[in-house]
Amino acid sequence: MNTQRKAASVFDRKFRKRSGTINLEKFKHGSYWSDRIFRLLVYVLLFDLVFVFLFPFMYMFITSLKTDADLMDITVKWIPKTLKFSNYKMALRYLDAATGLKNSVLVTGLAVLGHILSCSFIAYGFARYKFPGRSMLFALVIVSFIVPAQTIIVPQYIRYASLRWTNSYKPLIIPTFMGFGLKGGLFIFIFRQFFLGVPKELEEAAIIDGCGSFKTYFAIILPIARSSILVSAVLAMVWHWNDYFEPTIYITKTQKYLLPQMLPSMYEMMKMEKQTLPFDPLTMTTVERTLNEAVVMAGTVIVILPLLITYLFLQRHFLQGIERTGLVE
Amino acid sequence: MKKRWRMSMNTRKILDGYIFISPWLIGCFLFFLNPLLKSIQLSFSKLASTTGFQLEWAGWTNYMKAFVLDVTFIPMFLEVVRNMFVNTPLIIVFSLFIAILINKNIRMRWLFREVFFFPVLLGTGYVMQQLLGYNVDAQTMEVARGILLPQEMLVYLGPRVSDMVQLFMDRITIILWKSGVQIILFLSGLQGISPSLYEAARCDSATEWEMFWKITLPMISPVILLNIIYTIIDSFTDSMNPILDFIHTTAFVNRQMEYAAAIGWIYFVFIFLVVGLVFLVMRRYIYHTNVSAVSAKKGA
Repeated sequence: MNTQRKAASVFDRKFRKRSGTINLEKFKHGSYWSDRIFRLLVYVLLFDLVFVFLFPFMYMFITSLKTDADLMDITVKWIPKTLKFSNYKMALRYLDAATGLKNSVLVTGLAVLGHILSCSFIAYGFARYKFPGRSMLFALVIVSFIVPAQTIIVPQYIRYASLRWTNSYKPLIIPTFMGFGLKGGLFIFIFRQFFLGVPKELEEAAIIDGCGSFKTYFAIILPIARSSILVSAVLAMVWHWNDYFEPTIYITKTQKYLLPQMLPSMYEMMKMEKQTLPFDPLTMTTVERTLNEAVVMAGTVIVILPLLITYLFLQRHFLQGIERTGLVE
Repeated sequence: MKKRWRMSMNTRKILDGYIFISPWLIGCFLFFLNPLLKSIQLSFSKLASTTGFQLEWAGWTNYMKAFVLDVTFIPMFLEVVRNMFVNTPLIIVFSLFIAILINKNIRMRWLFREVFFFPVLLGTGYVMQQLLGYNVDAQTMEVARGILLPQEMLVYLGPRVSDMVQLFMDRITIILWKSGVQIILFLSGLQGISPSLYEAARCDSATEWEMFWKITLPMISPVILLNIIYTIIDSFTDSMNPILDFIHTTAFVNRQMEYAAAIGWIYFVFIFLVVGLVFLVMRRYIYHTNVSAVSAKKGA
């Protein structure tokens, strides 16, 4: 018991908060300096973590600007000696980035729209109305989220093939308008959690003022669900943009490829070119344009950049939104 | 005549409920239920011909094949399960720890909060696989470990300790990258705890350590449950997961669709059991407050 107390008080001293009430007590317990040192350690730890979290991005940007010489040179770890922007030019050419970007933006945009419209609508039904079979159907929603896409992909593929939907974006977009698609069940769950926290008086007032159920939903409920909409939109955007499994199953035509799908074909093209390029007798290597890491990384930067920029615009509202959705209450 | 068509309030409400969920019901019948049942059927049968998709009943053969004949499946499955059991607690503990650190009033809170969500953008997509192919995670740790634990210190501690540190660090980078969503959820959970609870505890001269166990932990227990379930599902449906890759190759490269379906179902049933078990066990420890009344007031 005594040792426990002691450990507790040591920990206590370390975790002092700088709020007003504590400042008075600070003189009783820990010394000023131990507090200072502990604070410093916390900052070192946090910045170390920041580094860990940012490293993949730093690595991508830095490597994408390296010249061949810099890539080989071990001493060049952080700052390349010369910046080689032509890596990007090459990656853009191989990637067919304009087409890929257009396709990806189209699919992601429509899928996000579908998820928000349908999932909020469906979730409202689950949150506010009592009807026979509700809990069973909601359990099925959860199942639809848990079941891995791979488990049911074969019959699903056959289904879409019989509808002649393969090689179009329909299998990726249309289910999202019905609350399915990539993690659709999770978005229904998020919206339902929010609607459960909305006071019923709001709708009662609307109904007394003569609103029907649907007008209440569109005019009253949807506008106040802004934070949930934003949270779902950002998550749906990230997941759809990065999705690789379903597009590779349904879309096999090169012109219809989404942006991440273009990466592997870029490597193939680069490898092919490596074989066909003439051997340079002077340097004893096949010159340039080999599958070099810098160009590969330039390609990944191009793929991830639209997402990164969109996130940076939305991030403040997104992070505030998560705190307001009632998701965690 | 007119009277008969007027519905009672109750029927009307039930009908409205069905109308609200109707898109989901339609989608369920069009795209979900049929493939779900078909894949169960497929896992119990033998494909007679691929062209017309004709099935012959084959009983448990495909399942027997997975458990008895196939030498690759079981070890791979156990590996995935082991990874999940090791990673999930680590992710939960680390994200809670980080969330608590950020939640203290420190400077540049916004920076930390934003940065910790960044790897989620890479997600588990193709770009991330690419980066892991270049061993970016190992490179990260080399530098990050250098800051926290100087190499010289490890030398003093002996080879066994340094090996353990190495092993731990190898795992930790990916774990940290995967905990973005969880950190954000924990943070919002911590924000939701009323400060008056802590003030009252301080008046009774509780230490921070006691407050963590008696206030913070019970108050965020619903978030812990949410996070555990999210983490488990996320690790099972992760595109880097070897099992999912295996299912994909079996179905589309080796053309053994019925076997792929059987594996898919073994896998799904297992996930379902794990999630269900966690939910049942954790539910007892969840601390419920009458939040709905409070948040209703807040919302109004």
